[in-house]
Amino acid sequence: MNTTLCLALLFNGIVLGLIWSVIAIGFSLVLGVGQTINFAHGLLFTFGAYFFFSISRNTSFWIAVIAAPILVAIMSLFLEVVLVRRVYGQDPLFGLLITFGFAIAMEEVIRMVWGKAAYSVSTPIFARGQLILGNFVYSRFRILLALFALTILLLVLWFMSKTSFGAIVKAGMFNSEMISALGHNLPLLRTLVFVMGGLLAGLAGVIGAPLWSIKSGMGTDVLMPGFIIALIGGLGSIKGTIIGGLLVGITTSLAVLVIPRFTDIIPYVMLIAVLFYKPKGLYGEVTILGEVRE
Amino acid sequence: MKNKLLFFSLTLIALVVFSLVVTAQEPVKIGIVSPKSGNYADHGEMERIGMYLAVEDFGGKVLGRPIELIEVDSETNPDIASRRTKTLIEAQDVKFFLGAVSSSVGIAVGSVCHELGSIYICTNANSDTITGVDANKHTFRVPPNMAILVRGAAKYVAENLGKKWYFVTHDYSWGWSGTEWGRKMLDKVGAVEVGEVKIPMNTRDMSSYLLQLVNSGADVACVTVGGFDGIALYNQMGEFGIFDKMKVWWTLADYPDSYAIPPEQRGRYGMMEIYWKATPELIEFSKRIHDKYPGAIANVTETNSYHGWLGMKALLTAIEKAGTTDVDSVIKSLEGLIICDNKQPDPTYIRPWDHQFIDTMFFGHDIPGAEGDDITEVLFTAPCKDFARTMTENPIDLTK
Repeated sequence: MNTTLCLALLFNGIVLGLIWSVIAIGFSLVLGVGQTINFAHGLLFTFGAYFFFSISRNTSFWIAVIAAPILVAIMSLFLEVVLVRRVYGQDPLFGLLITFGFAIAMEEVIRMVWGKAAYSVSTPIFARGQLILGNFVYSRFRILLALFALTILLLVLWFMSKTSFGAIVKAGMFNSEMISALGHNLPLLRTLVFVMGGLLAGLAGVIGAPLWSIKSGMGTDVLMPGFIIALIGGLGSIKGTIIGGLLVGITTSLAVLVIPRFTDIIPYVMLIAVLFYKPKGLYGEVTILGEVRE
Repeated sequence: MKNKLLFFSLTLIALVVFSLVVTAQEPVKIGIVSPKSGNYADHGEMERIGMYLAVEDFGGKVLGRPIELIEVDSETNPDIASRRTKTLIEAQDVKFFLGAVSSSVGIAVGSVCHELGSIYICTNANSDTITGVDANKHTFRVPPNMAILVRGAAKYVAENLGKKWYFVTHDYSWGWSGTEWGRKMLDKVGAVEVGEVKIPMNTRDMSSYLLQLVNSGADVACVTVGGFDGIALYNQMGEFGIFDKMKVWWTLADYPDSYAIPPEQRGRYGMMEIYWKATPELIEFSKRIHDKYPGAIANVTETNSYHGWLGMKALLTAIEKAGTTDVDSVIKSLEGLIICDNKQPDPTYIRPWDHQFIDTMFFGHDIPGAEGDDITEVLFTAPCKDFARTMTENPIDLTK
């Protein structure tokens, strides 16, 4: 077997894993704190990509990088205040259905505004070209996007482990009622986490837009892998989500060598394997379904 | 007694006249089974635009009766498409169908129409089997099949682009057809295969497949991947610098997809089913599409729109020619039909024995960095009849 190809695929898996982790991390946080399965997360990702596409076309690449996630965060605030807030504390199925319905409706809005055609974003001039090391060839832009994704992940990790807000969020994942009892504003905490999830979805959209063609259903394409990575890592666990993302990225990439036609099923197989041995995921300490049963 | 007889006669005449008037007003229903979602949603939208324009050309009527178009979303899914087709036939007595885009959907819809006795004109699917092993007397196909497209280009590719071919195959019937014909041409044009990768439908990230391609040592990537997946692949090929390492030959280049790619990342070669500047009529048709549908993908005649238009035009022409909506009569009328005002350099001819439409195709190259509408250079044109399968190669005869 070609060693260079194996190394290239391994490297590609790490890059993909980092990008997948950014997609999954916002999903995981909302699931952990709000105990809401936010099926509109894919939609927020899609809006991030479309906002990035439109803004970068009309202004500049860097303005789009900043503005697109902020706009998505504002959208997610609206979503939380108008819809999601009503289903906190109820069966997670309600949250799933209400966000799923919202996502379907808004996908139609995307088709009305941007049409059904696919779009692509130009690679910025500074990132064009390939990294070439002997037979190893890799997209320079993809490496930069992976570094961007890594920076986001490290910032979230730092924020959650080193700030008092992060500590409250983490505590909220384990026992949200205790947070209220200690005098913290639980509804506000949930709103902030939801908006943070939206911001991360928007950032993921900014990363995804230049990589994959932009189209109305792109959120659906990332929703299930994002959900699976969140479950593999454990609900609300930042470290678990990153490791879950890397595992999925690397195995999917390497699987092309062995079973290229069936790479799609790799994340599902991994999920079954992980949940069989660790029902709460790799680093999870809570399961929303477990709480419902109790 | 005489008065009674007169009364009954007049009543009978009135009823006959009334029923004739009612029949004359009764719309001719045409089902459009076309994707509004899934991998080919954008292509579906464009083919429907073409169909509506053809109906407009006929003044909205055929045989003096209004035309009623009934759209259903195939969702680019054969099961859903065949179920919805069946419902239209059984619940609304629809006798004529157009649409598809995906070959799997085309095969499924064709099979249902054959079983229930309706005519189906497959407007945008290229798998060989539709007019081959899956052919039936009720199904007609507008675009050239993969045998025509691949055989039309293979010699040029081997002589001018390279002889070591790596196949990139969309993992369903259409993709398999493209690669199968590429393989059949290897010996004939002196090329060799250096590998293949099959890409599942709805794959967005192609990086792992592209790394295999980069390391294959190929001169030419022989690609049969379409829809949003095709656009993603094309875009990521530019990102990975594939066009600097080898030539890329798209066995079927839906050239409007090229407009979705940033100019600096373009560079593929490919066989196109039509070319928007081939005739003044096509340029005019482009303007018409754009005036009517400003949201259309590009300011050019799009392949799917053209085939939607041509399929509908053929059906309505055949109904007029038959003078009836009787299915068997319309089939006879379609078989051997020649459409001269087809906006192409040569007339379109429908072969009676396999129901394949035959006209002209164009081999071109996307010019890297070109801006605006004029982004493709046509290198040669080829008459489909010279490359279509003969009856010996495709032993069916639907006229029997």
